[in-house]
Amino acid sequence: MIAPAFKKYVSLARCSMQNTLAYRLSFILNFLASFIGLIAMYSLWQAIYTGQVQLSGFTWSQMQAYLLVTFFVNSMLSYYSESSITSKIIDGSVMMDLLRPIQFQKARLAETLGSCVLEGLLSCILIGLAAIFTFGISLPHDAGTILLFALSIVSSILLKFSIVYLSALLCFWTTSSFGIYWARTSITNLLSGALVPLAFFPGWLQSVAMVLPFQGIVNTPVTIGLGMTEGTDALQLIAIQWVWIVLLWLLGKWMWSRAVRQITIHGG
Amino acid sequence: MGTKMKVKNSPRRILYLYWRLYSQQLKAMMEYSADFYITIGAAAMTQITGFLFLWVVFSRIPDIQGWGLWEVAFMYAAIYVSEGVGSLFFEGTWRMLRLVNMGELDRYLVRPVPLVLQIFCTGIGMNGLGNILIGGSIIVISLSHIDITWNLQTVVMAILLFVSAMTIRVAINLAANCSAFWIRSGGNAFPIMIHNLGEFAKYPITIFSQGLQLFISIVVPFAFVSFFPAAAMFGKEPWSYWGWFSPLVAIYFVLLALLILRIGLRRYESAGN
Repeated sequence: MIAPAFKKYVSLARCSMQNTLAYRLSFILNFLASFIGLIAMYSLWQAIYTGQVQLSGFTWSQMQAYLLVTFFVNSMLSYYSESSITSKIIDGSVMMDLLRPIQFQKARLAETLGSCVLEGLLSCILIGLAAIFTFGISLPHDAGTILLFALSIVSSILLKFSIVYLSALLCFWTTSSFGIYWARTSITNLLSGALVPLAFFPGWLQSVAMVLPFQGIVNTPVTIGLGMTEGTDALQLIAIQWVWIVLLWLLGKWMWSRAVRQITIHGG
Repeated sequence: MGTKMKVKNSPRRILYLYWRLYSQQLKAMMEYSADFYITIGAAAMTQITGFLFLWVVFSRIPDIQGWGLWEVAFMYAAIYVSEGVGSLFFEGTWRMLRLVNMGELDRYLVRPVPLVLQIFCTGIGMNGLGNILIGGSIIVISLSHIDITWNLQTVVMAILLFVSAMTIRVAINLAANCSAFWIRSGGNAFPIMIHNLGEFAKYPITIFSQGLQLFISIVVPFAFVSFFPAAAMFGKEPWSYWGWFSPLVAIYFVLLALLILRIGLRRYESAGN
């Protein structure tokens, strides 16, 4: 009984992958746009590290790895996927989803994961190229770390989806998506550790960041990938990611049930 | 372009038309007041987090290649303010894709009002207000932390640099969004890519490779929005005199943007009826 239900979502994921491929030019341009940010940050940190051996526990080679992992995590579920959820709500095509025997939240997750496959591939290529030009990056060596790292990346994507989904649902109450998108991005970037590693924060801000869900998006995979958190500590961080995923998923479910009452669709 | 009917476009008429078109958009905008506040708040938040980033970095190191916190903050804010001016007063450049793809440009081409003016007034980005408020405050605070002798020369220079910087930014937006004539797909990310080049001008450009420095000084002159003005204001050698080129760069890029628009228009296929 589970199989056919699952199959619908797999085909949604495949559809979204094909969609992404159909609009490959804008997809790639979008990607290059964020790559510009990576180059700027890389040069900035390079200048910051001249004459410094270590800052807040990060050596330059660790910082390089941090930048690449952050770029990878951030390029998963990019603006491209996010806007496909919000535009459904804004332009009213969400109505079609209400008519179908699928769950909105699961369907959007399936689509997001579908395009994440391509986003992952493309960012791996770019990161590979970047890694060729930059030497001395410290990457995980032992199988255990790599496994934990992979696990934390997958959880990070799911966590990011849960947060993005919640903020996308807010579009039911507003009539445009940009403001919400900008607000969410700036908060996520700061508190996930995407702008600057959380270790650089003053103590109080670090404590605030650690009790919020955002740190699971970047901080968790980065510290695990760089070998800064190991063993049970790493497992604990992943467990925290999952607590948030479940909580936010349920919150998303509840919010959806409230949001559909809010729908105004003009014409038909 | 069908300019059969000749209308004299005096600066006064242009300003009047701009005001009329702009206030119409403002009325439409105020219909959605929730969005209004959300976008302003979001823009402000983006900048505050950006500033927090700088502050965190500079709490660990004294300077970046001789540039202190407030000097970099000034450049950072200059980029944001220019983005804000572009959104608040010239947001229409960002709607070019829609104008071209939906054939809405037809309507503009038959009116006896300059096309660029109509494009500018296609929308208002209220996020610009947030950018200008917070960015402006950061600039004022930065200037109060930096030792500058204010006299007639510095004031004239500051005004000149500011006007040129804003003009350059709007021209870059217009030129980048003209890509809509060539790239027809719905989510054209080319202008966003150009917009993101502004990231390079948030920091002293000497941290980048020579090629990149030239690129953002000449090809897409974001450096004249933030870096060269900052260098001129703070007397950073050897670039302190480059700021005087700002007006020239502004003229050069405005002409370039208008040329790109003109070439693009030749490719424009109207929507038919």
